[in-house]
Amino acid sequence: MLRPLLLIAAILALAVGVLGADYAFGQATLVATYAIAGLGLVIIVGQAGQITLGQGALVALGAYTETLLAMRGVPPVLSVPAAMALGAAGGALASLPARRLGGLYFAMSTLAFALIVEEMLVRWTALTRGGAGLSVPTMTWGGLRVDAPLEQMVVSLAALLLAWLACRRLLAGRSGRAWRAVREDEIAAAEACGIDVAATKLRAFAIGGGLAGLGGALYTHWIGFISPEQFGLMFSFELLMLVFIGGARHLSGALWGALVVVSLPQVIALLRDVLPGQWSRSAGLETVLFGAVIVAVVLLRPQGLAAEARAGQTQVRKGNRD
Amino acid sequence: MLSLIQVLTSGIAIGCVYGLVALSFVLIYKATETVSFMQGELLMVGAFAAVALNTGAGWPLWLAAPAAVAGLAVLGAVLERVVLRRAIGQPHLVAVLLTFGLGLMLRGGVTSVPAASHDIYRLPFADSVLQFGALALSLSHVLVIVATVALAGVLVIFFRYTRAGLALRACSENARVAALMGVPVASMHTLAWALGAALAAIAGLLLAPITFVHLNMGLIALKAFPAAVLGGLTSLPGALLGGVFLGVVESLAGLVLPEGAKDVVPYVLLMLALLLFPDGMAAGWRRRR
Repeated sequence: MLRPLLLIAAILALAVGVLGADYAFGQATLVATYAIAGLGLVIIVGQAGQITLGQGALVALGAYTETLLAMRGVPPVLSVPAAMALGAAGGALASLPARRLGGLYFAMSTLAFALIVEEMLVRWTALTRGGAGLSVPTMTWGGLRVDAPLEQMVVSLAALLLAWLACRRLLAGRSGRAWRAVREDEIAAAEACGIDVAATKLRAFAIGGGLAGLGGALYTHWIGFISPEQFGLMFSFELLMLVFIGGARHLSGALWGALVVVSLPQVIALLRDVLPGQWSRSAGLETVLFGAVIVAVVLLRPQGLAAEARAGQTQVRKGNRD
Repeated sequence: MLSLIQVLTSGIAIGCVYGLVALSFVLIYKATETVSFMQGELLMVGAFAAVALNTGAGWPLWLAAPAAVAGLAVLGAVLERVVLRRAIGQPHLVAVLLTFGLGLMLRGGVTSVPAASHDIYRLPFADSVLQFGALALSLSHVLVIVATVALAGVLVIFFRYTRAGLALRACSENARVAALMGVPVASMHTLAWALGAALAAIAGLLLAPITFVHLNMGLIALKAFPAAVLGGLTSLPGALLGGVFLGVVESLAGLVLPEGAKDVVPYVLLMLALLLFPDGMAAGWRRRR
């Protein structure tokens, strides 16, 4: 815990120096928010060993819940838990059909759920204004307004810290042991020890969904405008890539992954300027580069960045197959 | 009654395309245990390749279409040799991310061609109407159905009676035993990807007269996942039938349900199918493990 904190402080100080304070705070806010959603994926993918393709939609559920409640003047103490509850309910519902099947079936049911949610956000125009999107009010509570980049960063980092501590407790306790047992061997290690495998998976998806909802509730305030296409399949894959890059097995993976995913568009923009004339103007270049980064990361480091240090004690090839 | 037949025909036609994409997905998944998220992009690239050869290079369609399919087969084989091979034996997540990334690269590559991103294209298939008494059917729909049936026949012959087809099936059932029997498993993986890419390209060619050729035509592959699940995820005929079933249900839903509800029907069906018939549908998969 101490080492990552020091590293974060160092990176932040560097960013403030190079990029200017407000910009650096804004980026740090985004990193923290992505990392919160990433923690949920660490639990689902890294701890319980399952796969989900619909996390973007759960973030969307959180974001829309928070926005709609905030627009009606509900204070964040009530609206943020509501957003988390809806995210958790969504996660449980998305994984419910596949909880006894596991593996690829989770990918299918969460994908289907995400596509249903996306379609619903587009079609239910009376509530969501569809593709036109919603503009989000500033986060306020009593006389406090979370408006300036520094305040937003403090709130996100505080939320990240709380979420992190909660996850650490969970992973150290009965839930964490159950998840890891399910990941390693459902029949021998888990069922034989009296672990309810289906319920354990469902719990992982519900908690992952709750964290996605929390991430969404904060994200919507920082972005200030939401529309359904921000939370499409691409976003779900961005989050998956986030935990993959960071290393899905450890909570710190969410943070490193978030750092990479948030800074990636900037790096790609830099690359664009370096490339010669005709190419840099083409519309597809960013997509190609983003795809190339994913492919390169998967090929070069199939276990993620954070895995390096502990490569000795993790079994490399025996991952989360089923 | 007549309009119902017309709706059913168009449903079966689009269902054939879903089914073919699902077939390509299941073929790859069974043979290599790799989950492919780029079938939609392969479909789109295949259709664009045919358009480029046809309108760009001026080849006649009967030459351009097979050339595009062959080109995609080569692309699939090369991708397997160079990149996708690394995902074998790794967790599903690796293959999902890898194919998604490759799909983005393909998509970005096509977007970079100005002519491709600005226009939509048609392949010069017949767009006339077949008249049977009072019944009017779109020729392109009938053509898609006939082509799919013919293709299914070819695939049946390939998998039942050819050496390569039998070897591929053996490899899908149990790669280890197949290797002991002298089946070159690595080449079979390449073959599976070549076939999977070619099937996606054929699906793209068949989709072309229905929805035109454009950058987002690959999104149709998302509907192939429900089709594959309805078919049991490991059954090739099941995938094709699942696709046809889905197309028909979707077109009927378009008649009955309010505007827009039609698009979520496949995904609701997917979740219901998993919820209600988990054992029945997973039986084949369970047995194999």
